[in-house]
Amino acid sequence: MKGNIIKYARDNIDTDVIIPGQYLKVHDYAELATHAMEGLDPDFHSKVKEGDFILSGKNFGCGSSREHAPIALSHSGVKAILALSFARIFYRNSVDGAFLLPIEIDQDAYDGISEGDEIDIDVSKNEIKNITKNQTYKMKPFSEIIGKIIAAGGLFKYKPDQD
Amino acid sequence: MGKTLFEKIWESHIVVEKQNEPALIYIDRHLVHEVTSPQAFDGLRMNNRQVRRPDLTIATMDHNVPTSDRTLPILDQTSAVQIKTLENNCKDFGIKLFDINSPNQGIVHVIGPQLGITLPGSTIVCGDSHTSTHGAFGALALGIGTSEVEHVLASQTLWLEKPKTFEVRVEGKRNNPHAVTAKDIILSIIKNIGTAGGTGTVIEYRGEGITDLSMDQRMTICNMSIEGGARAGLIAPDQKTFDYLRDREYTPKNYETLVDSWKENLKTDSDAIFDKQFILNINDIAPQVSWGTNPGMTCDVDEPIPSPDEFSNGDVNQKKGAEKALEYMDLKSGTMIEDITIDRVFIGSCTNARLEDLIESSKIVQGQKVASNVHAMVVPGSQMVKKQAEEMGLDKIFIDANFEWREAGCSMCLGMNPDILSPGERCASTSNRNFEGRQGNGGRTHLVSPVMAAAAAINGHFVDVRKLDLN
Repeated sequence: MKGNIIKYARDNIDTDVIIPGQYLKVHDYAELATHAMEGLDPDFHSKVKEGDFILSGKNFGCGSSREHAPIALSHSGVKAILALSFARIFYRNSVDGAFLLPIEIDQDAYDGISEGDEIDIDVSKNEIKNITKNQTYKMKPFSEIIGKIIAAGGLFKYKPDQD
Repeated sequence: MGKTLFEKIWESHIVVEKQNEPALIYIDRHLVHEVTSPQAFDGLRMNNRQVRRPDLTIATMDHNVPTSDRTLPILDQTSAVQIKTLENNCKDFGIKLFDINSPNQGIVHVIGPQLGITLPGSTIVCGDSHTSTHGAFGALALGIGTSEVEHVLASQTLWLEKPKTFEVRVEGKRNNPHAVTAKDIILSIIKNIGTAGGTGTVIEYRGEGITDLSMDQRMTICNMSIEGGARAGLIAPDQKTFDYLRDREYTPKNYETLVDSWKENLKTDSDAIFDKQFILNINDIAPQVSWGTNPGMTCDVDEPIPSPDEFSNGDVNQKKGAEKALEYMDLKSGTMIEDITIDRVFIGSCTNARLEDLIESSKIVQGQKVASNVHAMVVPGSQMVKKQAEEMGLDKIFIDANFEWREAGCSMCLGMNPDILSPGERCASTSNRNFEGRQGNGGRTHLVSPVMAAAAAINGHFVDVRKLDLN
């Protein structure tokens, strides 16, 4: 999966800046997407392209349980978030609805990848290639459950192994 | 080896658990509100599914309800639609709803315990991160997203990864428990462990500093577990818990039998081992005030605001975060907290809008007036809290002091209804999140206890409530 990076070099990007509370009444996902990241970066909507990835620091998605957060990012075109760590509800919401991939990275990847870099994520190898800089980093493998929900295409398509 | 309280509740709710698989966990109570449920009900309809256990599902409207006169129509059309949608969904699927005119309406995490719906040893979920509040009763209470809400509606179960266990031991006794409150304890904990300190864990709060607390205070502690990154927070039930829940509207009929079994089973064994531990001694802790844009950016009321270097301990992103926070908050390092003037005061939210919060803050307000530059409001956590407070005459105390006395709801905690800060306004708030724009675009939030908020309202700036006579 290839895409370009939008980098927010900070920790604790919370769901209130990803999609401010006033928009939780919006049910049209395309409209919701126009307000994604509005609390942090008013230019986000004009610069994000289909297939982009967001790169950020620790505890991405902390705060509210609003599933509107991964939905707004997903409908903006974002396919994956690469972060040093994630808040758990955001992480789970991202995969439950198959909105986007939450990918945990290490400090090398965080430091090495810059705004605009073209990245190729290979989940099967747990590998992230920086095409722009010709570097390769490891991603933290998904846990069993998360891997299975992602492979199934979301929580409602997941079926436990029958044996 | 012994087991922790969390492990006991978890194990007693496993429907299916296999090696290297998620566990399917049974859910005893599902609380529903208007904001995170509409898509879940749509999903049920699309797939021709029913609600599996409408009798275990309870709904109310809290996030975007107006807190002004409820005999008037709701002016915000999108809110009105969301409220109407919940009414229709509850009717269609046979779910008990405490609607906007119900005497039981209120913030979902305030009404659950008040009605005896929250029970020790149970699993409780709600599409709201502050579901952790119910952990104060020894329940495993998890905030979930809308897909999971739909899954629970359809099946009364959830696929979950087993969290790790985290003991937060609170030792010692507060010198002045009226001035140094449960809010100050939990803010101190988060300041120390950080906003991601509890990630992937269920916290069990233990120790004398916790057992000393009333149920209202314990709810404040568990409520903010999510602000420390935890999946949930819980406190072992004791006599205070059992007495609180007796004779509530929905308390089970066989209550005393249940209490006997809870006394026996709902505690962490003495030889149980936690995955992680943090100890806080509260003998000398001070009232806390947040200065930044996450709850970990907090200091003592008698301290100056730290510099980004002091705050970050060499961590580059932490330093950058502190710099950005100071800029957003329009504050400078070195400024004493007591020198910060405020524009607004909000006493409310699932963190601090229960009866005891209103009683304690009214003691500061009694016979005083809100400072002329301050707009202050009290939003009781539920209509029942409001009624109880009014029976005690607390409404009069606040109104006489020029506070607004409102109807129950989430209100200015998250800025979904008309109660919001204007850009640049600075608020002393008893809520749980000081994120950028949380209380309104450009608004600046300082998290404090109810007594600290009340004292700030009267004085127009923060004051150290330990200097006041609160007994």
